[in-house]
Amino acid sequence: MPPRVVVTGIGLVTPLGCGRERVWSRLLAGECGTSRVESFDPEGYGVDQGGEVRDFDPARYFRTLDPTSVGRSTQLAIAATRQALDDAVLDLSLLDPRRVGVIMGTTSGEAREVEAFDDHLIDERSAPAPTEFVRRYPCNVIPELVATELGVTGPNLMVPAACAAGTYAIANALDGLRAGRADVMVAGGADCFSRITYAGFARLGAVAPMRCQPFDRERKGMIPAEGSGVLVLETFDSARRRGAPIYAEVAGYGLACDAHHMTAAHPQADGAVRAMSAALDESGLGADRIGYISAHGTGTPTNDRIEAMAVRRIFNGRSRTVPISSIKSMIGHTMGAASAIEAAVCCLAIAENRVPPTAHFEQPDPECDLDCVPNEAREVEVGAAMNNSYAFGGYNASMVFRRAES
Amino acid sequence: MSARDDGKRVVITGMGAITPLGDDPSRLHDALCEGRSALQPLSALGEDSLPPTLGCELLWFEARNYLTEGNLRPLDRTAQLCAAAAGLALEASGWDAERIAAHEVGVVLGTMFGSMRTISEFDRRAVVDGPSYAKPMHFANTVINAAAGQTAIWHGLTGINATISGGTVSGLQAIGYAADLIRQGRAQALLAGGAEELCFETVFGFHHAGLLSGSRNGDAARPTPLDSRRNGFALGEAAALLMLEDAESAERRGATILAEISGHGAGYDLSRGADPSLGERAVVDALAGALDESGLEPGDVDAAVLSANGSIAGDLAEARGVGSLWNGAAPRLPVTAPKSMLGESLGAGGALQLVILLEAMRAGRLPGVHGLEDLDPEMPSLFASAESRAVAVDRGLVISNGLDGKSCALIAEARS
Repeated sequence: MPPRVVVTGIGLVTPLGCGRERVWSRLLAGECGTSRVESFDPEGYGVDQGGEVRDFDPARYFRTLDPTSVGRSTQLAIAATRQALDDAVLDLSLLDPRRVGVIMGTTSGEAREVEAFDDHLIDERSAPAPTEFVRRYPCNVIPELVATELGVTGPNLMVPAACAAGTYAIANALDGLRAGRADVMVAGGADCFSRITYAGFARLGAVAPMRCQPFDRERKGMIPAEGSGVLVLETFDSARRRGAPIYAEVAGYGLACDAHHMTAAHPQADGAVRAMSAALDESGLGADRIGYISAHGTGTPTNDRIEAMAVRRIFNGRSRTVPISSIKSMIGHTMGAASAIEAAVCCLAIAENRVPPTAHFEQPDPECDLDCVPNEAREVEVGAAMNNSYAFGGYNASMVFRRAES
Repeated sequence: MSARDDGKRVVITGMGAITPLGDDPSRLHDALCEGRSALQPLSALGEDSLPPTLGCELLWFEARNYLTEGNLRPLDRTAQLCAAAAGLALEASGWDAERIAAHEVGVVLGTMFGSMRTISEFDRRAVVDGPSYAKPMHFANTVINAAAGQTAIWHGLTGINATISGGTVSGLQAIGYAADLIRQGRAQALLAGGAEELCFETVFGFHHAGLLSGSRNGDAARPTPLDSRRNGFALGEAAALLMLEDAESAERRGATILAEISGHGAGYDLSRGADPSLGERAVVDALAGALDESGLEPGDVDAAVLSANGSIAGDLAEARGVGSLWNGAAPRLPVTAPKSMLGESLGAGGALQLVILLEAMRAGRLPGVHGLEDLDPEMPSLFASAESRAVAVDRGLVISNGLDGKSCALIAEARS
């Protein structure tokens, strides 16, 4: 039997602030962290709302590296990682550095670095010569610089799986721990706010003009955002031995590709159904045991409709009663960080038996006939939770977390 | 834990490669053994803001010759390279459309930049002309996993689809990642490897970083791996994918088995190239990990295909890592460095090295290190020469040593 793997630390950097306690309490309160974009002038994009991390001081979290020597996505990732390790009460100096791994996901990596590079190409007087570009931009720098900051040389992987990247990273960390490749894994996702991403989603007509309203009949789209979510994972035995707090156990996951369209979901949600079904199979839980679903829930008309279809296909009659919410209604879509932040939400929901709401919900959509926990957090016996995430490229990723019974 | 003690075994049943020296692995191997280098002044960049630069361009590639039916417009250069190599690997391993439709075949692609040109052009268009001129279809290709996703759509591959970015070790790391998924029973058949386009933007970036053979003072015409006069590398363009399968199901369907992947390992240099001793240590960790998983000793390995590309620090760390682990026996381990003739194709490099190793295993001949005249005296003595040589290879090693601290190694064994 492979060892059981549990989550013992959570780090969050989001448009609703930094730190597990602050972000979680604001999510439960239904607060909204999106507003008019400030990191560049949104004039000309046709929309202007974004989820930016404000008042962020990376120096608070850096102990080894110079924060100005790394890109913003790495800054966000290092901040979330340091929080997660503190949260796990984990003293790295007691561990063999070769047995600590760092697995990260992203959509666009260090997008600000390529934007500066492009500025130089457009007008060489407007931005310096890109002497550091090939060292700062490629997205592998994110887990590598986290590892250098921590001083750990275990498994190191960047899996850029777009908006499902956080789940891919946690999945790889799970497999690595089970295979005995490491004793502790730091896993999550990070993306900085990017004009490239903003222009792209704006041109797809996918950005909501004012607010993100998942599952609402009048929903008008997603709101691009930035952030990082990082989990500390270790074996159940290791956590018990050192008396660490355990949020939840990672019970299983499923990955499937639609092979249908780069940006549109499969019309019958086939890939999403296969991913959910594989995650349930591995976890050994029936759909009836799932007490909460963290939806991908971007708030675009198509995503939410197809996701509801997938939930109906898996949960049958229970699809109207199992609580399912989208925190993207409050923090926007943090891209490669989203599914890692939502994984943390699943863990917290299991640990506290409280689930965050879907904010801005006004009118039910008959095509999304789900219990989306409208506007008010809820106390509910969760037990096990499913995290769904979908991404460009036809990616479907689902992961199941459960209470870690001894 | 030895990979052989748990889980399933992983075999390679076919490969597809699009390289500056053609698309046929066996003829590629012949060309390399004859010392035919693809290195020449870069012609296709169409920009005058760079000094004359050498590289290994894919000038002959026409996507339509490989991707014969369907709309090519949504696929940019990186996606076309990946999808074309995937088609070759599917065909070589006997996965026809009918078999693909009945199974879940996945794709694990290694790439350093993804679609560098698409990303930069999309952004510049939006900045110069305004966001409303940016093309939505191009946006889909700006995500780093775009080529893997496009390849799945083109060939109807519904299994696990993933991209791995590990700088220049991406290709080999992707193969290791895929092998692990098969061992754990999460996948039965995965195309794994790497793809990287050669475009003005990457040349410009590497030039300004001072990493190309022509970026600094010295001999710009000698991006020769392991040579004492090397002065940086030359970029290349390529895609290489291998079909990895669970051994049992491959045998059951009567597939031709080229080799088994018996182990892989990785290391990381915390100093990211600043401290040569840590760079060497990362290579040693990767090699030791791969040997340990395979249950082999250094003396069991018949040949190694190195990632040495002419980089001053990278080549030295790689050579010293081998010297350290082989502990005086390195002069008996035949090594080669195909980037001497194919350039540094970044995310594709490690996968291309594995293709070359498998061909060396088949042909019993290891290509030479093109242009090598004077092995760097700072390096331990290595069994490397400019000429190809006959070597019986049953157990081969591929090493991928990155620019910024990441190292990977993988062992492939002939099935007895």
